Amino acid sequence: MTKTVLTIDDSRTMRDMLMMALVEAGYRVIQAVDGIDGLETLTAEGADVIITDINMPRLDGFGVIEGVRADPNHRATPVLVLTTESDAAKKQRARDAGATGWIVKPFDPVKLVDAVRRVAA
Amino acid sequence: MRDAVDPFEAIKVVFFQECDELLGDLEAGLLAIESGAADGETVNAVFRAVHSVKGGAGAFGLEALVRFAHVFETLLDEIRSGRKPCDDLTVKTLLRASDVLADHVAAARGQAAPVDEARSAGLVVELEMLTHGETSAPAAETSMTVEAAVEDEFGFRPVAFSFPGLGDDPAVEAAPAGEGWRVVFRPHGQMYVNANESGLLLREMSRLGETTVSLDISAVPDLSDLVAEEGYLAWTVDLVTDAVEAAIRDVFEFVESDCDLSVTPLPAGPARVTVEPAPAPAEEFDVAALLMRAQAEVEAPVTAATPTPDPLPIAKVAPDASGVNAAVEASIAKAAAAPPANNVTPASPAATAAPLAPAAVTIRVDLDRVDRLINVVGELVIQQAMVAQRVVESGLARSSGISVGLEDLELLTREIQDSVMAIRAQPVKSVFQRMPRLAREVGEMTGKRVRLITAGEDTEVDKTVVERLAEPITHMLRNAIDHGLETPSERIAAGKPAEGTVRLAALHRSGRIVIEISDDGRGINRERVRAIAVSRGLIAEDAVLTDDEVDNLIFLPGFSTAEVVSDVSGRGVGMDVVRRSIQALGGRITIASNPGKGSTFTLSLPLTLAVLDGMVVTAAEQTLVAPLTAIVESLTPRPQDIHHVGGHDAVIRFRDEFVPLIDVALGMGFREVPILPETGVAVVIETESGQRAALLFDAIQGQRQVVIKSLETNYQQVDGVAAATILGDGRVALILDCDSIVASSRKKTAIRPELVRPDVHRPDFKFAS
Repeated sequence: MTKTVLTIDDSRTMRDMLMMALVEAGYRVIQAVDGIDGLETLTAEGADVIITDINMPRLDGFGVIEGVRADPNHRATPVLVLTTESDAAKKQRARDAGATGWIVKPFDPVKLVDAVRRVAA
Repeated sequence: MRDAVDPFEAIKVVFFQECDELLGDLEAGLLAIESGAADGETVNAVFRAVHSVKGGAGAFGLEALVRFAHVFETLLDEIRSGRKPCDDLTVKTLLRASDVLADHVAAARGQAAPVDEARSAGLVVELEMLTHGETSAPAAETSMTVEAAVEDEFGFRPVAFSFPGLGDDPAVEAAPAGEGWRVVFRPHGQMYVNANESGLLLREMSRLGETTVSLDISAVPDLSDLVAEEGYLAWTVDLVTDAVEAAIRDVFEFVESDCDLSVTPLPAGPARVTVEPAPAPAEEFDVAALLMRAQAEVEAPVTAATPTPDPLPIAKVAPDASGVNAAVEASIAKAAAAPPANNVTPASPAATAAPLAPAAVTIRVDLDRVDRLINVVGELVIQQAMVAQRVVESGLARSSGISVGLEDLELLTREIQDSVMAIRAQPVKSVFQRMPRLAREVGEMTGKRVRLITAGEDTEVDKTVVERLAEPITHMLRNAIDHGLETPSERIAAGKPAEGTVRLAALHRSGRIVIEISDDGRGINRERVRAIAVSRGLIAEDAVLTDDEVDNLIFLPGFSTAEVVSDVSGRGVGMDVVRRSIQALGGRITIASNPGKGSTFTLSLPLTLAVLDGMVVTAAEQTLVAPLTAIVESLTPRPQDIHHVGGHDAVIRFRDEFVPLIDVALGMGFREVPILPETGVAVVIETESGQRAALLFDAIQGQRQVVIKSLETNYQQVDGVAAATILGDGRVALILDCDSIVASSRKKTAIRPELVRPDVHRPDFKFAS
């Protein structure tokens, strides 16, 4: 069964890059443009894996993780954060919030798919 | 992935489009901060803009851009978090950095010359100084590369845990020999809370080589003591592989801090020992079953609650044994399909691999399609007018059903036309956005302090008009700063603030767009302008001109040339060029100046190039349309105002000057013999170069808005004709190109401008607009 990846990023470029790599690897991709949109999309459509940016308007990536973990229907959904932060504290914060893993931008499509596979059955 | 050039390139195009938007946001945000109108969210948005540029640039390997964006972003992050103040100096630096960032983007796009490296490097130093405090940043940090930053990202230095007790398991001791690693992995409860799964990690390891897995369930407590969220299981995996330790740690990258993990080299041995499980169960053990049990433990530990002192037996997974791998996949898939605690809404069956686009409020449409629509609507307008005319001709009462229905139709048609035109309409923002940078740069070059205020960026106008506005506005803004504003010391001496203000505003006024560029500078030095005009022979020495007329002299061709630019204490750099490009858009430009207080340039432009305000005239029974923007005045010639200058050429007195009188019907070959001027109507026009002429027609029918139809695309270019239109009665009418009519009439008659000058001794120059 095709796995669905929800990508949440305010950058169209990033969304397109993720889409290209993931669709190529056989995933179904749905997109959201910020944290609020992301949580709403998750509620409406569900997802097997969530990939979220950290810096976004309206609701940032930490908010997304917290929202997912607090949602009884989706709290076991893996969330990968997409980040260029070299700030280890930020990564730690994402992990504390419940992030399953992370993808470092700029990502290599192969590494991206590796990371998704590592958290998605 | 990158082999697929096309989608990659397509995303690159998207990236650069996005960069344009982000750079716009960046500048707008910084300007808001500068003006004190910013809140915390503005700083965040500014940070995000640079961050997104960097993120995308990284994806495309645009290293120079990434490097610059990284330094820029670092400072913004400090400001965002409140660790660094955002004072005036910092904002100025950030604004300049945004300019350089735009240069980097343009260079990466291949649109512009390479970035000025010295400028870029200088700003990097400035940004770093601001980031690291006032002192110069250490060399190491200054030369920080992105690669280093990325390295940091991956640079988790895991501390290896060792669990002596685990290694004592007999099963583990009998691990496969050879090159490889023994991985002992004991997840904490938090790992599961964060939605990681041991089964998947084991599967990942099996991709690296042949694995021998043993599961230790000794820590599983009695059911009554069992905490559902806790991790009780531990795995020992012997992995025969060529992979380096880092590759194995990569598998555990996400869970390092949520598990106990040790990776140690496998003890070498002469031969591999196939391990027989001590309490060998009757049924076959395979990895699939193992994983399912593991899965079950994760999801609902109750099922695995029976404490077993001995580790579960071992299964082997050969990486190439596709059957086994398939079983693993299947078991994982099964396990994940209906997990009790993992209520992931399954993807709907209808959903295919086709990507689902995010909900969008805009669509992209090919411009050709819009233009086709506009064209058809133009036809509709014409057709509607034709039907209306027929109805009038048929003598139907105005109250008749048809007439009333037709009126409604007319309203609808007009609404459709407006709506369609609105599709092509774009805010002038795209042009205005470029101006703050220009203002800064011109200010820097000329040593002026300038504050640019823009207003009405959201005013919409036809796309073509927007595109062609950039050049004249750029020109005028540059002039306003270079020639309009005084230097800070001059301003202070004049009792003004040191910083000059230039205001750029757009607004709609009576169906046209008006753009105003005003400054609070010194205004036009009329003495100087007048002197230059006299010295260039544009006006007579004793000409009597109003202030307004003097100001408008600067638009005359030949008024300014390069060598006077720096001398003119006023403005006037190529203003004739500006005026020409505005006129080419069917617009007009005027100036109002107040000495010592400043000047205001006002541009007035049509909202669209698809419709034209025209004066419908008759010449030798042909119906023609003269663009209203070119017309100065229309008059009935009196015999005493007409002077013949040999042959058929005539001039007519208009106000205080003589202008050539051109019989249009004759010039266009509609008839052979000229009419008597006094039997017709003279329409005085002004060409784009500011020359005047009177066009002689038989009669004026009235003013009308007409839909422009290109003659070139439908037929061919004809001298003297700009385009065509279809009138309400269905007739095709030619729209005159006044400039070309005047030019060809000069060619034919060889009238040089000086011959047209009146003999009367009041060699006066009049400029009315």
